[in-house]
Amino acid sequence: MNGRLLRVAAFGLVALALACGRGERVPVPGKPEGYAKSSAAVRAARRLYDGAPPVIPHRALGAACTECHNERGLEVPELGYAPPSPHALTRGLGAIARCQQCHVYGDAPGAPAAKPFRANTFVGLPQDLRHGQRLYPGAPPVIPHPVFLRESCAACHTGPAAREEIRTSHPERQRCRQCHLEQQTTGEFHRGS
Amino acid sequence: MGKETSAERGIDRRTFFELAGLTGTALVAFSCRDQERAAEIEKGAAKSTLPVDLSWKKAPCRFCGTGCGVEVGLKDGRAVAVRGDQAASVNKGLLCVKGYHLPALLYGEDRLTHPLLRNPDGSYRQLGWDEALELVASKYKETLAQHGPGAVGLYGSGQWTVFDGYAALKWFKGGLRSNNLEPNARLCMASAVAGFMTQFQSDEPMGCYEDFEAGDDFVLWGNNMAEMHPVLFSRILETRRAKPGTRLIDLSTRRTPTSDYADLYVEFRPGSDLALANGILHLLVANGKVDRAFVAENVIFKRGIEDLAKIGYGCFGADAEHYTFKDEPRDSSFDELVAFLADYTPAAVSQTTGVPVATIEALAEIYGNPDRGTVSLWCMGVNQHHRGTWMNNLITDLHLLTGKIGRPGANPFSLTGQPSACGTAREVGTLCDRLPADLSVTNPEHRAEAERIWSLPAGTIPDKPGYHTMDLFRAFQRGDVKVLWIQTTNPMVTLPNLLRYERKPGDGRFLIVSDIYPTPTTAAADLILPSAAWIEREGMFGNSERRTQHWEKMVEPPGEAREDAWQILEVARRMGLGHLFPWPADAWHEPMFEEYRQFGLGHGKDLASYAELKAARGKVWPVVDGKETLYRYAAGYDPYVKKARGVHFYKAKGYGEKAAFFLRPYHPPAEVPDADYPFWLCTGRVLEHWHTGSMTRRIRQLHQAVPASYVELNRADAARLGIRKGDKVKVASRRGELVLAVEIDGRGKPPAGSVFIPFFDESLLVNHLTLDAMCNLSKEPDYKKCAVRLERVG
Repeated sequence: MNGRLLRVAAFGLVALALACGRGERVPVPGKPEGYAKSSAAVRAARRLYDGAPPVIPHRALGAACTECHNERGLEVPELGYAPPSPHALTRGLGAIARCQQCHVYGDAPGAPAAKPFRANTFVGLPQDLRHGQRLYPGAPPVIPHPVFLRESCAACHTGPAAREEIRTSHPERQRCRQCHLEQQTTGEFHRGS
Repeated sequence: MGKETSAERGIDRRTFFELAGLTGTALVAFSCRDQERAAEIEKGAAKSTLPVDLSWKKAPCRFCGTGCGVEVGLKDGRAVAVRGDQAASVNKGLLCVKGYHLPALLYGEDRLTHPLLRNPDGSYRQLGWDEALELVASKYKETLAQHGPGAVGLYGSGQWTVFDGYAALKWFKGGLRSNNLEPNARLCMASAVAGFMTQFQSDEPMGCYEDFEAGDDFVLWGNNMAEMHPVLFSRILETRRAKPGTRLIDLSTRRTPTSDYADLYVEFRPGSDLALANGILHLLVANGKVDRAFVAENVIFKRGIEDLAKIGYGCFGADAEHYTFKDEPRDSSFDELVAFLADYTPAAVSQTTGVPVATIEALAEIYGNPDRGTVSLWCMGVNQHHRGTWMNNLITDLHLLTGKIGRPGANPFSLTGQPSACGTAREVGTLCDRLPADLSVTNPEHRAEAERIWSLPAGTIPDKPGYHTMDLFRAFQRGDVKVLWIQTTNPMVTLPNLLRYERKPGDGRFLIVSDIYPTPTTAAADLILPSAAWIEREGMFGNSERRTQHWEKMVEPPGEAREDAWQILEVARRMGLGHLFPWPADAWHEPMFEEYRQFGLGHGKDLASYAELKAARGKVWPVVDGKETLYRYAAGYDPYVKKARGVHFYKAKGYGEKAAFFLRPYHPPAEVPDADYPFWLCTGRVLEHWHTGSMTRRIRQLHQAVPASYVELNRADAARLGIRKGDKVKVASRRGELVLAVEIDGRGKPPAGSVFIPFFDESLLVNHLTLDAMCNLSKEPDYKKCAVRLERVG
């Protein structure tokens, strides 16, 4: 691509960015423009169904994934906030699997969206946006998803990248699973079974 | 491209922020696209009916031979999610990206839904099943009557379920009395079959996936496990984390994502692995690392024809139409081995392979250390090889000589690429020379056993092997085979030297193709039949570790699509062969499986019962009294072994129940780079796409990650030729040419003088370039070595 084309393309991109930049923002202290709102719908846009690994929404940056997606997450100048990995506490098989075994790159940023090879009519399981079941209003909800590969609760439920629907009201408490329980069965207790 | 995994390793901070700055704008633009897609989802969400109540059912993954257990989330008759099955011992809850995207494979918009007959003008006419099945039956009947059983063929798949394969085998060998039945596994696993058969007189590995925790050293022979068997690779990585000192050794002809994790990376010249293995054997003998007690008790020595002029490559001269070389093994001895290995000194082997002497010594140290468990792993690099069977033999030889076989953490372990290459192609025996459970059509007792189980008159099954895959397609092209039915596979993408198989209209032949999506193979068909996929029908697959896994039908297939086995049963019935399948039309799976099972019971190939398999997360055969066998031939594990300790190769009746160590020399590849075609070409797969991509390319996330094929080039070669990443180059061989975008230092890094091209892309067919050289014994083609030249385009 020659220099002129490149400049035109860059201008176009910036214009596009500004246009959608007026969408909903999440205010962040010390960052007047905030972050683009992260919602369940944004989350859904990046995966095939609830529970599928998300695609990588940026281009390869020349660093190990965990340099930014570390246990705390990292504010990267110019780029945005890299959320922590929810697998940081995973043990066993998932612990050190290659990131790109499950996460592949999505549309190349700045390039036109890849044309589908053929259309697909799959409709993925949507995220259940109701909270996990509670015994009564005010009781701690149960965990509505498997914990395997999501052992680090804080990764998704706290911090700037947490979607507002599932942001915890009490990030200071660290032992989440003392009150929120993973469900091993959907069945009920029956004596003798 | 540009989606490389190259950047897993650290770079300095400054470079990082420079890169980050460059991509910043683009990133904002991307999150904008996310927002747009999110807005669409929010609009649609109002319509969705929460709460979502799913039912979850177990199935093996549809893709590779690992056989990961998944649970499929079902809602309103559709699959809407999967999750890794934490109760599955194979994968313990983890999947790879293909597995996580499984359910969408069913819902590509262009699923084949009705039988389609091609009109003379090239358009298609939709027809009902009755008419379609009658047409297939009549084509087979007429051809058999006029030209005999040599003129019909059936080409199936390692993706066939056990039911599909068994129906095909019984219909063809017991009904049509033709042995022209082949699976695409000939292109993929045949060398491993021939390897195990020549050495143990029984197919399939002795080890199991527990070897991944029990082993100390994992030696990968031409095997990019990180991409092709990601979940098994994760098991090795986890073992290394939990058990420091565990080592991963990557022997390869190019750097892959697997190499990034290796403790030792060894690059050898294409095809020189034969010399490398002999070099290690040389050192084991020279350094006194032979386990003499083990060898005396369990091993005999054999040697076959080694004369290159007699053997050839299967692709030159008369071999290019028929290749039927047969080995003549004779007895050999340890003393003869010592003399044979004299040619393979470290210095000589280093010359041939390009591997430093010290590295060969290090490898000999690994295999020769009696205190460490060694697991050798291989897949297509060894199998798709001009001497693939020899290479299989040599790897197993390393284990036989050191006694590192038949115990946890010490085994030669061949991996499979298709979900039922083992369960269907190998165990059911849908090959031109095979019957179920290691039986052979050339053995009169074996034929009699099959005829007894099938209640057929003696002499029904023909005693001569049919065409192997390569000769089958050559015969079809010549017109010697006139009717061919292809199910669940895509040979018009996968056959080597593909241009020779282009069809001309009105060639007087009839091609039937059963599949779930349009492919280049359905495009060549006269009649297209729509198949049910994966969980749209009941099935069983057998994975790499001898595990048979059952799943039930969970959703309805689209339109009129029906399972492959049903299509075969219906054609057989219309040919007057209904007596082969005398079971109720709505309940034939169980009685068919129980009949099939009889072949292996009591012979060390005992499969679990239908009822057991329905309940279990798979069972590893032999299954005796409901108990599975993790380590075959091993005392304490295998109920057929009566010894208190050690191993007993009880299947090798012809070898005095010992294993055969085969002496196998180095032969150069069929075509090597020269002045006109100065580069090696290697072909293969990528993590995101499964084989020809007919399923994975229809899944947006996987397609976007790798939308098109490309050519990997070494940076030094590129600089010399003035080629940059992203440039278009023409890659030409003596067979054909292809224009591709260049990738440099991407996920794979070929050494100078070689290039790599994936084969998944049906519009950029690398098999236009490949050579149809093949293994002399297995007749499996060598997709990994031919010569090409490069030209810049534009």
